[in-house]
Amino acid sequence: MNDEIFLNERVEVVTVFGSGHHPCRPLRFKRPSGRVVEVAELGLKHPVVKGRRTIHVFDVTDGGADYRLEFDSERLTWMLTLEADHYD
Amino acid sequence: MIDNLNRARPLIMHIDLNSCFATVEQQARPRLRGRPVAVLNRRTEFTSIITASYEAKAYGIKVGMRYREAKAVCPDLIAVESDPAKYKYVYHKLLDIMRDYSAHVTMKSIDEGVIDFNYATAAMLERDLVEIGQEIKQRLRDEIGVWMRCNVGIATNRFLAKTAAGLNKPDGLDVITADNLELVMNQLKLTDLTGIAKRNQRRLNSVGIYTPLEFIAAKPEVLQKMVFKSVVGEWWYRRLRGWEVDDVDYDMKRVGRQYVLEHRGLTQEQIEQRLHNLCESVGGRLRGQQRMARGVYVFVKSEDYGYWHSSTMSSVPFQSNQTIYALAKDIIRRAPGSGIRVIGVHCYELEPVVDNQLSIFQDKLARERSVTRAIDLVNQRYGERTVHSAHTLPTNGYLTPKIPFGGTRYF
Repeated sequence: MNDEIFLNERVEVVTVFGSGHHPCRPLRFKRPSGRVVEVAELGLKHPVVKGRRTIHVFDVTDGGADYRLEFDSERLTWMLTLEADHYD
Repeated sequence: MIDNLNRARPLIMHIDLNSCFATVEQQARPRLRGRPVAVLNRRTEFTSIITASYEAKAYGIKVGMRYREAKAVCPDLIAVESDPAKYKYVYHKLLDIMRDYSAHVTMKSIDEGVIDFNYATAAMLERDLVEIGQEIKQRLRDEIGVWMRCNVGIATNRFLAKTAAGLNKPDGLDVITADNLELVMNQLKLTDLTGIAKRNQRRLNSVGIYTPLEFIAAKPEVLQKMVFKSVVGEWWYRRLRGWEVDDVDYDMKRVGRQYVLEHRGLTQEQIEQRLHNLCESVGGRLRGQQRMARGVYVFVKSEDYGYWHSSTMSSVPFQSNQTIYALAKDIIRRAPGSGIRVIGVHCYELEPVVDNQLSIFQDKLARERSVTRAIDLVNQRYGERTVHSAHTLPTNGYLTPKIPFGGTRYF
């Protein structure tokens, strides 16, 4: 069984709001430990509705691990909720 | 030579996402790409695999296999817990793309749908459907992600279009016409045909039909009177020749949910708490569909794969969680007590919500309906299960909604 670490970390995210099919793309984020993660690829972006709140979920990778970032469109906050890097 | 074939232009397109949930997970997590991945509803050794990636299938891993058995076959297998929100998103993206080509789109399940170009605009009909199929494949990659792949099948009816979509997995695009029908069918086994499983295969074998070509060549009287013993035989005769018999919408007959117990040996009280949670979920779905029910059906599957079920009918239609659970609880208390593996509850005899029927229990019903409506409003505002029965409190975290196979009506 591969390991996944479920987190609830408030993170600072540098994001570009552009055009095209994926107009919002996180570029890098800073974890509470101070570690900066550069996003190499956006895997999938999908919305999750919690009542009337919409959370935009971004599955991203830095090439070494996969991460899940969640953007709360009402509170304008970013959370890191998953890290998965034990596939090998 | 097969007679009475439909020689019209093929205008039905079947689109099927390849190993849908596993592909979506590989799309979401780039490090999973190219690796054997199994999607499970719960990450335990005894859970069955609900989807395997093509890399996993190459090792012989099949849907329905226990994770522990699969891991023995393929030690590198990576298990990922299912994430219905992702699949729902991809479902809606696929639906949006398909609706750009025709107003007549039917989703057959969460990962496959049909575009009927018979209802498309004249401008759309001027285009080559193979070119449109390629365009849809490209749009999936552009609009969802580079790892997304689908099979496309084109034919004159839904059955042959689905057959065409299954010819060259993954990422195939095939057309079945009256001209290549024999050639295609010659490559297939009877059980490759959708709707022909072991039981129907035995029926066909009993009259000397062993291949799809023999099936097509069979006379309608043989299929109707000797094989299927009903009008189903006539439908097969037409279906195999490319005539449409499956463009039918079925009414919703029941609303339900089931749950595989997280471990064996739960007490009766714990099982009833889980049943109560299911009843709240079923009640929400029922009200979401603007329906009331008159019947409740409860089933129990045991560890020795036995199946027990019972049902009850009410003289008054209902839709509240409390009523569903009250009826379901009475039923499950009659079930054999030991070795329960799966519990499930369905509401049936559905009817539209009507407020104009007077009843001697009017006050009680009106009060119950008001409370239910108020709870639904709170849950719609703040999220599912913000307000729920205290009895189900210990079940939080266990009965999260999983992937609905088959119908997509709750989407």
